[in-house]
Amino acid sequence: MRKFFRLVRVGLRVNFGLSLLRPKYLLENKRDIWLIPLIVLGIAGLSPVLFFYLKGIRFLYRVLTPLGQQGALLTFAILAGQFLILVFGFYYVLSAFYFSRDLDLLVPLPVTPVQVLLSKFTVVVVNEYLTASPIVVPMLVAYGVHSKAGFRYWITAACVYLLLPVIPLALVSLLVVAMMRFVNVSRKKDALIIAGSLILMGGAFALQFWLQRLPEAGPGRQAIVQLFTEGGLVQKIGAKFPPSIWATRSLAPAAGGGGLVPFLLYAGVSVLLFAALFFAARAFFYRGLLGLGEVTARKRRLSREGLSARITSGRKPVRAIFLRELRIMNRTPIFLLNGVLSVVLIPVIFILMAKAGGSRSGSDALQIIMLLGSADPAAVILGSALFMTICGCLNGTASSAFSREGAQFWMSQVIPTPPSVQVKAKFLHSFAIAVLGIAAAAVAAIVVIKARTIHVVVALPIALAAAAALTAIGMIVDLLRPLLKWTNPQKAIKQNLNVLIALFIGLGLMTGLTVGTVAVFKTGIRHELVIGGVGLFLVFLASACYAILVKIAARRYAGIET
Amino acid sequence: MIELSRVSKSYNNGRVKAVDELTLTVRPGEIFGFLGPNGAGKTTTIKLIVGLLRPDAGTILVDGIDNRKNPLAAKAVTTYVPDTPAIYERLTGLEYLNFIGDVYGVPKADRLRRIERWLEFFELAEAVAAPIQSYSHGMRQKIVLIAALLPAPKVMVLDEPMVGLDARSAHHMKEMMRSHCDAGGTLFFSTHIMEVAEKLCDRIGIIHKGRLIAHGTLEELQARDREDQSLEKIFLELTEP
Repeated sequence: MRKFFRLVRVGLRVNFGLSLLRPKYLLENKRDIWLIPLIVLGIAGLSPVLFFYLKGIRFLYRVLTPLGQQGALLTFAILAGQFLILVFGFYYVLSAFYFSRDLDLLVPLPVTPVQVLLSKFTVVVVNEYLTASPIVVPMLVAYGVHSKAGFRYWITAACVYLLLPVIPLALVSLLVVAMMRFVNVSRKKDALIIAGSLILMGGAFALQFWLQRLPEAGPGRQAIVQLFTEGGLVQKIGAKFPPSIWATRSLAPAAGGGGLVPFLLYAGVSVLLFAALFFAARAFFYRGLLGLGEVTARKRRLSREGLSARITSGRKPVRAIFLRELRIMNRTPIFLLNGVLSVVLIPVIFILMAKAGGSRSGSDALQIIMLLGSADPAAVILGSALFMTICGCLNGTASSAFSREGAQFWMSQVIPTPPSVQVKAKFLHSFAIAVLGIAAAAVAAIVVIKARTIHVVVALPIALAAAAALTAIGMIVDLLRPLLKWTNPQKAIKQNLNVLIALFIGLGLMTGLTVGTVAVFKTGIRHELVIGGVGLFLVFLASACYAILVKIAARRYAGIET
Repeated sequence: MIELSRVSKSYNNGRVKAVDELTLTVRPGEIFGFLGPNGAGKTTTIKLIVGLLRPDAGTILVDGIDNRKNPLAAKAVTTYVPDTPAIYERLTGLEYLNFIGDVYGVPKADRLRRIERWLEFFELAEAVAAPIQSYSHGMRQKIVLIAALLPAPKVMVLDEPMVGLDARSAHHMKEMMRSHCDAGGTLFFSTHIMEVAEKLCDRIGIIHKGRLIAHGTLEELQARDREDQSLEKIFLELTEP
């Protein structure tokens, strides 16, 4: 056990960079001080969201209490948290168990496969507390406060939360361990990640369709009652996934079934799944892991003609760097999934979701969209531009442009290519991916929203200017604090704080611009002028951000010590 | 060709002096071997020369160009091979070489000729079309070396280039180093292998705790003490803790 805990300790230190979080290091690393006000601003920016979330919980609680169904709120929170963990956990588990580089150090140590796998599992569990906390913690706390819960509730709530990630993560882990053992993947690990992710997305779609087949809710208060009361959506899903019902009953005995027995059931299933993982680790883990890192390729000598044909000439550095970015992005599954595929998939998901409900005339989402489509053309144009911008920029390509280079960043520093040219190539690459997302979103706007093509065409340059600005902003954030020391590519893009910071800035900017535009609309200024003004402002913003990016690059390329 | 003048570099807000007032000149056509115990400041010096680190004080000239005032011109005449070959694993060897050729502006005819020559020389012709991800450590070291040779630079800076190479490859490496300098180029490299330094280097520098404690030809170093002392003994005596 001592070895296991030591592995967990090291894993947590590596995962969260705890060794560098000491005041001594933090104070020395003065370049990150600018993050403190930004984080405070981010938290302040999120506080209205939290406020409305808590207000919503209070409203739902008051509606459901007279019916004795307030416990369904807890079921909803636990279900939502576990579903979230199930979706995001897949990447984390696969990456942590099989593709993190520290495995090369751990495997030769005198520790058992069980200790290695379970220590990694524990680190992922701790990670997932953070993922689930925004949804689950406010609900648990608000429920406790509104119901004036006693000491027993708070203790049970803490235990329920601590066990929350175990069931979904253990299920995902068992799936991943079995898959890696039985599928001969040692030469196809990249294809495996993509296939696994697509299967998971397929599963999410299937769940979406399944949920839409459940009885529909009517409007307003009636909808809430139908959603949460006996036989409603939450109960139905809960019935398919009993741990959430057990957790609810352990927290709110009024929901039926008493407190201790359901909790023992909830904890018991968690322990059972953990035990199953223990045996799976012993039987399968190393069989799926060992040799996985070996990549073999067919070696063949090129003829002189073949070599000559493949040797390029006269390619400008900007093109050479653009191609390098493109190739590395497209050949690294984690980068590909988070970049190219996500910008295409977001509008596709949107179309499928709307289409799935579209067969019924009562689909709320489609009705709202259709309403938007028939509204003021100026609103449609700006709304479409916003939608296209979000679809194009809701990914970590720009905000990980430098981090993705990782340990190879030294090459960018020693080549005789000006940082301005290197940054230009990276900008073009990130912008190209944003354009791909914008194009997919434009198709979605025409097909789903039924927006007139002319409106989308007018919205297009606005979206492109916004995307250019957001691309430059994302790159500035990443250039100021690149994450170059990572052990697996997931860290560079999916667990990179820069991606989150850039996302917050982007969303803040879009929200501010939307609020500002609505305010200007209300003054009665001609709508064409407003659209033109927004477009010009975005062009100016994009130019200014790009100029700042180039200016910073000259200093940072020389200043980043690798 | 490489001139370091009173170059200093420290870490942890000046508490750790990695390089301390280092002054050194490496002449054209010279192979300069840089020796020192672990943590003596070898890699820091090399990174300062190629512009990966900024000195706290002092100047570094490469081919007469100040590498801080005119970094791009200095980089255009220098290539660098790091101690660990962290390169673009997702590219094929040829794609990587093409990338280097593009950013250094190597014309196609020269590119083809040099790539063919060095692929044969380092016995990598059969692997060049495969992804670098599939290469062994030694093969990665070789592709980085070929990339460093591709622009036919005036100055090559190599950080422990023999690590990971088998005997034949190490032999080829030494031949390459000699031919590079015979053609007028300059080569600055660090090593822990005394025998290599003894046989290959025109001049040798020994760094200890950030300070250059001795430099000169092997004979000059031997003349400091007894004539028949090996470089290993000189090194051990000079770097005694």
